Amino acid sequence: MYDFSEVEPLYAERPDWADVTPLQQYQGVDPLAPINYSTEYQDATDYFRGIVKTGEISLRVLQLTEHIIRMNPGHYSAWQYRYRILLALQLPLEEELRLMDQYAIDFLKTYQVWHHRRLLLGALRSVDAAAAELEFVARALDTDEKNYHTWSYRQWILAHFNDEARLWAGERAWVEHMVERDVRNNSAWHHRFFIVWGSGMRVGDEDRERTLKRELMYVKEKIALAPNNPSAWNYLRGILEHTHTPFSTQAIFVQLYTTSASTPGDVFDLDNPPPSASAVLPCENALEFLADIYEQEGGAQISKAIEIWRSLADEHDTMRRKYWEYRIKGASQT
Amino acid sequence: MVELTRTFRPTPSDGLPTSTSVLQKQTEELVVKQLSHYQQVQPNPNAGPPSASLPTEPELSKPLLERKLHLQFLLRNMLQGFPQRYVSQDASQPWLMFWTLQGFSVLGVGLDDKTKKRARDTLLALQHPEGGFCGGPGQAAHLLATYASVCSLAIVGQPGIGGAWDEVDRKKMYDFFMSLKQTDGSFLVAHHAESWILFRYASLTNSGIYCLLAVATLLNIITPELLSGLPEFIVSCQTYEGGFGNASFPEWVFQKGEDSTISFDPSAPRPVLGEAHGGYTFCATASWVLLQPYVRAYYSSPIENDLSSNDDAQSPGLPLPSINYLLLLRWLVRMQGTEIELGGFKGRTNKLVDGCYSWWVGGCLALVEAFIGLGDTEKHAEVDYSGDTGTRAEEDAWHDIDDGLLNREALQEYILYAGQHPAGGLRDKPPKPADAYHTLYCLSGLSAAQHHVAPDESRKTKLIAGWKAEDAQQKAGVCTAQTSTDNQARAAALRRYTFTDALCWLEDEGADKYVGGSGNRVNATQPLFNLTVTHTELMMAHFYGQTLPPRVAQTPAKK
Ligand SMILES: [Zn+2]
Repeated sequence: MYDFSEVEPLYAERPDWADVTPLQQYQGVDPLAPINYSTEYQDATDYFRGIVKTGEISLRVLQLTEHIIRMNPGHYSAWQYRYRILLALQLPLEEELRLMDQYAIDFLKTYQVWHHRRLLLGALRSVDAAAAELEFVARALDTDEKNYHTWSYRQWILAHFNDEARLWAGERAWVEHMVERDVRNNSAWHHRFFIVWGSGMRVGDEDRERTLKRELMYVKEKIALAPNNPSAWNYLRGILEHTHTPFSTQAIFVQLYTTSASTPGDVFDLDNPPPSASAVLPCENALEFLADIYEQEGGAQISKAIEIWRSLADEHDTMRRKYWEYRIKGASQT
Repeated sequence: MVELTRTFRPTPSDGLPTSTSVLQKQTEELVVKQLSHYQQVQPNPNAGPPSASLPTEPELSKPLLERKLHLQFLLRNMLQGFPQRYVSQDASQPWLMFWTLQGFSVLGVGLDDKTKKRARDTLLALQHPEGGFCGGPGQAAHLLATYASVCSLAIVGQPGIGGAWDEVDRKKMYDFFMSLKQTDGSFLVAHHAESWILFRYASLTNSGIYCLLAVATLLNIITPELLSGLPEFIVSCQTYEGGFGNASFPEWVFQKGEDSTISFDPSAPRPVLGEAHGGYTFCATASWVLLQPYVRAYYSSPIENDLSSNDDAQSPGLPLPSINYLLLLRWLVRMQGTEIELGGFKGRTNKLVDGCYSWWVGGCLALVEAFIGLGDTEKHAEVDYSGDTGTRAEEDAWHDIDDGLLNREALQEYILYAGQHPAGGLRDKPPKPADAYHTLYCLSGLSAAQHHVAPDESRKTKLIAGWKAEDAQQKAGVCTAQTSTDNQARAAALRRYTFTDALCWLEDEGADKYVGGSGNRVNATQPLFNLTVTHTELMMAHFYGQTLPPRVAQTPAKK
């Protein structure tokens, strides 16, 4: 990789760039709300604009795009131009990916870095490269556990290489490890939903009833560990809705979380793990869930639902008072 | 009024600290500490068992919107320019412009003609010769940059020579939009050189779609060809949580055959890429609302009978796509932080409150409420937000709720207490610095919490009565040849619905609420575009060739 940390003369002073006419950003316009650029950035982008005009495709322009991207990774036009050069000159895309490894760590938050990787992988069509990408993504998520672009990219890789059993083999175990690290990481829960439910059926996972049972066990265990965790409750609700399973199937479990004192029974019921000893109860998510069960059951149960919503509005979740009152009104009128 | 009975209950971590709960705790302490600048009794979030409510009734002094400081912040950026660290926004120059100009609008400050002229010149320098607008002069055209540029022009532009509106090349812009169109109905955000066909499925985002829809609506360049497939795409981005992700994966639904024809299999999975997120949820929801004219004109049959020539109307046979409103509402309200977070909004489950989500999520909630509130009259029968039963009863119930579901007072408090930087400008959360982006979206969120802007049926009736169909068609930036009578009728309906649906949103002036007193009032914004109603009206009246009936102020109700 080219080392830009060395003090380089400006492009304007370099004889090897003398044939390019730099293009100033604004001509004949006194721009409102301008950015005060550094001389280095201004110089590089003046030359980039000059290049865009002539359409030059060359290694020196490839280097210029890297220079600009290092100063501003959000410069999407430099990225686009770079990709165009890579394809036009048939440069090795794996090498570009390795260069990107450094970029991604430095510019973890920038969408363009991840988008560029996606384009490279799409063009490479290599399962080996995809496997390496999954490893890289895992490393990136080690330092930035909820990075949106990184997770989306991982989901794209898996979907795009859907038939590659080798890429999918360790996925559930890996995302379990991510949930293990932080049971409140919603990105990891979404990823689990994506791999188990969102992306269709996997080989060995055709028995959907068994899958649902497994997932219910898993999520209830995680709720037991830390009940005041909306990510886990949303997953529970999500898989029940996805499989059209009535919430009432979870009534026994949920009621363990709606009372203020946890009373561990003598027998440990695997289907209904009780809250941990340090859990703070009652749990607002559980109350909501129980009220939903009552509402779904309808009839005389509605009044029980209303009672819970009232307690949420007045005591347990006062910020959303109007929402709970809306639920009360909705149920009262049917 | 400020509520004096507060419970500052920390989010329980159930004796199992993880990085999420540790960050959450730190944030709660930082945010609630802001109140100490305004009160005598400081709440102690650490006291007592976590579930115990603290009986603090602090004497809070009125939080004031530091209007003057924020104007100075905006003025400094506009006239002296942005400091060097903003180089990261070099490809977002129209956004810097929009955040600044709309910031002035929300604060109720107009600009002088000379400054407006400079803004117009700057913006026109961003127009790409092949259509659309760029992140900066000489850069590539981009959907997001196009939205920011056109909305900025709504603020500073005008008809006629030098007014910039007529210098926007709408035909080329339309061509640019169409050139980005993918087989699944969504859009790449910008071109990728000549080989883009290689990755036709690579980068589909609903933020890009929102920007396109807002611009096409404002500029009268909507066609059915432009919108086909978009409702289905938006629907596919809703997650199991209720909010929307950035995009969905289209390759299984759209299969490329050997003869490179594309086949469509709606039963194949189309998973969401990325979890439910505030920014994408706003974009998807606003897109959904902006798409309703198209849904009405093309998914129902026969088209409504107020159109003259629908005798031969035929069903296009498209199954009506729908989003789950109840799930969306649940997710939206759950993004509002609790009392200890001062009622600010988060952008994702188990993430931290952040001032910009005051608009992306708070504004989205206000938008959904207002949109659903329309349900009782004609044309919105497709909005079956309540599931499969009793829409009528639920709609009536809705109207009994004066206020909607957004906790408007609390959101205003977060912005006023925690969102304002003492040196001017607004921010994510203390102790972060202010920036242009958070300044606008905190102010817009404040606006959404102060005002109630909603579709107004009597306004709609007037707009329809004054509608001049031929003028609108003549002024259209692009016309596609519609062969059958039915198609012509639908295209005409689409244009009229687009105009009247967008412009019937008015402020209900009896429904405003100002935490800290009416001195904190900011202007109302039209939630679909984040422009004032006046700017939206002026621009659309021009591009649709319409004369708008005068707006009469509604009688203010008791506060
Ligand atoms: Zn923010």
